[in-house]
Amino acid sequence: MSIRITPGSDVKEALKAIRGSDSYFVTNTARDLSQSDFKNRILAHTDILVAPEREAAGYFSLEITGGASVHVDMLRKQINPFERLQLLRSLMPNTMFQTLCRGVNLFGYRPYPENVLRLTVKEFAKYVEVWRVFDFLNHVPNMIPVFEEVQRAGKFLEATVCFSTGPEHTDEFYVKKVGEILDVTGPDILLALKNHSGLGTPQRIGQLVSSLLDAYPDLIIHYHGHNTDGNDIGRIIAAVQAGAKIIDAADHAMTGFFGPPPLLTVLDLLDDMGYKAEGINRDAVIATSDKLKQERPAYAVFESQFKGFDPTVHTHKLPGGAMGSSFEQAVKGGFLGRMNEILMKELPRVHKELGNYWSVTPGSQILWTTAVTHTLSGKRYVNASEDLKRLLLERYGPFPFYRPADDIYEAAFGPDWKTIVERDSGIEECPPVDLEAEQAELEKALGRPADIEELVLYLQHPRDAVNFLKFEEEYGKTYVLPPSVWLRQGGFDAEEVVTFADHTGKHHSITFASTQELQDGSQLNYLYVDHHLEPFHHYPEASQGQAGPKKELTQAEIASLAEMGEVRAPMTGVVAQISLEVDQKISEGDTLLVLEAMKMLNSLDAAIAGVVSEVAVTEGQQVAKGDLLVRVRPLRSKDASE
Amino acid sequence: MNTIPPIEKVLVANRGEIAIRLCRGVQEEGKRAVAIYESPDAESRHLRIADEAVWIGPGPRKDYLDIDRIIWAARKSGAQAVHPGYGFLAENPQFAAACEEAGLIFIGPSAATIQDLGDKTISRRLAEEAGLPTIPGSGILPPGGDGKRAAVEFGAKYGYPVMLKAVAGGGGRGIRKVDSEKELLSQIEIAKNEAVSAFGDGRLYLEKGIVNPRHIEVQILGDQHGNVIHMGGRNCSIQRRHQKLVEIAPSLLDPALEEKICQSAIQYAKHVGYVNAGTVEFLVDSDDSFYFLEINTRLQVEHTVTEVVTGIDIVRRMIRVAEGKKLDVTQDEVFCRGFAIEMRINAEDPKQDFAPESGKHVAVYNSPGGPGIRLDGMAYQGYTIPTEYDSLLVKLTVYGFRWEEAVSRLSRALKNYRIVGPKTTIPFYRKLVLEPEFASGSFDTGYLERHPELYDYSDQEAQEAKVAKLLSAIHYHGKNIFAE
Repeated sequence: MSIRITPGSDVKEALKAIRGSDSYFVTNTARDLSQSDFKNRILAHTDILVAPEREAAGYFSLEITGGASVHVDMLRKQINPFERLQLLRSLMPNTMFQTLCRGVNLFGYRPYPENVLRLTVKEFAKYVEVWRVFDFLNHVPNMIPVFEEVQRAGKFLEATVCFSTGPEHTDEFYVKKVGEILDVTGPDILLALKNHSGLGTPQRIGQLVSSLLDAYPDLIIHYHGHNTDGNDIGRIIAAVQAGAKIIDAADHAMTGFFGPPPLLTVLDLLDDMGYKAEGINRDAVIATSDKLKQERPAYAVFESQFKGFDPTVHTHKLPGGAMGSSFEQAVKGGFLGRMNEILMKELPRVHKELGNYWSVTPGSQILWTTAVTHTLSGKRYVNASEDLKRLLLERYGPFPFYRPADDIYEAAFGPDWKTIVERDSGIEECPPVDLEAEQAELEKALGRPADIEELVLYLQHPRDAVNFLKFEEEYGKTYVLPPSVWLRQGGFDAEEVVTFADHTGKHHSITFASTQELQDGSQLNYLYVDHHLEPFHHYPEASQGQAGPKKELTQAEIASLAEMGEVRAPMTGVVAQISLEVDQKISEGDTLLVLEAMKMLNSLDAAIAGVVSEVAVTEGQQVAKGDLLVRVRPLRSKDASE
Repeated sequence: MNTIPPIEKVLVANRGEIAIRLCRGVQEEGKRAVAIYESPDAESRHLRIADEAVWIGPGPRKDYLDIDRIIWAARKSGAQAVHPGYGFLAENPQFAAACEEAGLIFIGPSAATIQDLGDKTISRRLAEEAGLPTIPGSGILPPGGDGKRAAVEFGAKYGYPVMLKAVAGGGGRGIRKVDSEKELLSQIEIAKNEAVSAFGDGRLYLEKGIVNPRHIEVQILGDQHGNVIHMGGRNCSIQRRHQKLVEIAPSLLDPALEEKICQSAIQYAKHVGYVNAGTVEFLVDSDDSFYFLEINTRLQVEHTVTEVVTGIDIVRRMIRVAEGKKLDVTQDEVFCRGFAIEMRINAEDPKQDFAPESGKHVAVYNSPGGPGIRLDGMAYQGYTIPTEYDSLLVKLTVYGFRWEEAVSRLSRALKNYRIVGPKTTIPFYRKLVLEPEFASGSFDTGYLERHPELYDYSDQEAQEAKVAKLLSAIHYHGKNIFAE
């Protein structure tokens, strides 16, 4: 009988079952695939679409959140990352969800204060069972708060060692590193071997897994790799042969060149070698991809413009997620022609000079940016980015093998570098934030109460969280739209019909009826919304105020202008009576004029004492709200004494 | 007296929602309804509902106020009777007299009754004669300096605030609260001018101000045979600058107190020999003492709540009474069962001091329905808010057997209401119905001033339209700017 570990399972019992299994388990790394091969753009709509098939496939876990996805959910998909997990959970009650957490950097790029770390993990742990936690310097103390919170929440802690190659990256080093982790966590964890660039040969990986298991026979190793060189399947097989219990792969209909390899190939190969995947339903794996095939074309724009595997990754070591974006930057920055030089010469050189640490977020971005700057400027280390300086000062953590040479520090910090290093070196202390104050800030920005999950999102990415929550208020729950609509280029055809079921299950039909380009540069669209015609008016953003709609003054603005002697009409109406003239002295409370509006006479009284300097209207004149009526030159106290 | 020939055709001398209401009553009585309209109202819905229509002039407003023109229209159409509705000429005794002279039945009290009771000082004197308590008042202020002196004396005697009122005013118009002597002196002139412009009568008087009373009124109905009934009280305390926004039947007072007030109204009506529909208004102080305020000699905007809780159609009985028929309802048959709440849904922006949304186009109009919902409206998809007339779109009246039921039904109805184009009072009301003081049914005329937070509402739209807005934005930009 096969084993299925479901959400809510007891961690100790489950780990015992995994250790006792003579087979292996599979994690479907959908999030990793999206990030590495589709610039993180696979929509919740697609994950929801294949949720039944993935649920039936029987994975150990579905890696569906974490990494950059929390940010991108809000920034480019306009979905609440928590709500996304809730939705998927309701469709996949028996599948454990997995996240990728950057330790002290959580799902971002900089260290967070400890109270933010703990609160965030606590809230996400309500939906996420398996927590892969790493640090780009493999610095264990950076991961401890997250470790503790995951274990406190009763979830699976998957502590991670990042893997790379080079003379320092010995079995001995990694065995020692795992020992450091186990000292902190105790034995009831999973251990991820994170090969984010897909480095090393199958033999190297097999050997490392064996060495780790020799040192810690009860260790459950979860191998994770990328298929950039086209050979991660070889490494996966070697890992399983050496005793790894869980492996990562993804749905074949979506696999590309920089992310995870096709899952079905792994299953079939290992099956032929006598290794049965625990609990996997092969038909459901195929059915998932049959559906995804139909969706992939809508995401074509996000695939790398350069197709093909890249075995030179063994030299430049860029991780999967950084490959697509680096080419994109090169195209935008006009240095595509120098990519070979950057990737094959400068990047390996910088990597070595900066300590041969693990090229993964945020360390990979520092290496890449430094190498690009060097190549394009022709100068090395003198224009050091703030992040590079922080790395050099070991603000992120100590260099694992050796410190960069002194001349690098001198180039980066100038002649006083020694003083600076002495003064500023060491792990960055993040003072705790005042959570109540942050909540108040958020609520002020939203103009309504915020819940704890919204606060957590705000703590991660303040501006983008507020923008997203405001978007949702204005446009509703838009994750119901398919990628062909959400990612539409060039607008909609006349009479095109968009149908969808909204988040409450109601079907809607929206038809484009007409589009008018108006003289003021605005566009007026008429759409049939559930067979009722509705207008939508759009104004050009740049010329707002000029060609856009006339901005009406608010009552408060009108009142404050009156305090300064500028009397404006508080409502649209007709000037019924003017009881003053220019140069007339007036006192506060004097009636200036009478405005008739909606059959009512409204007297406008002076808000200040002064002298009338202008009467801008005549009796019987129609005035619009906000129009200037009278100007009063305020009487200053000095004038008053005259 | 019983020789009045039956009416076959009624000229509805009004516009907007009340014209529609009257047409319905006329048609239900088996008669033909004739609408009148000024040019700006050519697309108004009351024309569609009426059986025929007469164009009376280019307007705006002046033709609806032109007695000769309306008599002409009645003759032209062959109507035997005229129903004035509320506003315009409804309380103009010359109009009632002109109808009588032209041989038309004026559906309302006699010209003499309108004349006398419309005069605040006379109606007050009559109330005192009938034994009703009245608020201390000044009598008509003489013009010029004498009037100002008399006003100042009155203020000194009874203290501030005092209410400055136009003799010819009513329905919340021509009333101002004055808090000091200085303000009193500056307001007298303005109030006079307003009264001249609005009612053609600049006479003013003063009353002692009662701070935040409850505004209670009693619907009465009398026939030409000496029968008078009351149809229970209404609570019109939720007002903004003396303009009613929310009206409730019954009064929400202690039933014994309400009965006492209703009996006072009957006493008054009998004393003056009142015929047809009218409303006697009272102020109820915090110690439950009550004062006669005024009588409105016409159908009220808020008559719907009384119709809903009593089940008695007032408009139809107004027509029958005018035909000389006996009232078919005795006082014993009038029961107020449950609660009705009416809200005036106006095309106004409450956040901008209820500024009218004149000229805006109603792009979407979806109204609620279902149990306990009554709509008296004139808005429709494509309707343009007139700049020439008032901004009332529709009166929403809901019924509930219990007060709490009425409130939750109102909340539901407002949630289901969707008007796109002009800003309306709907989102403001959505917040108001959830406010605990309102929901508990205990409020006075100071309610809105005490609850400035009600203006801090958000304009929520239905979900489907929200996503449609995004689709339209994608179309406009040629891409989804929220996906970049």
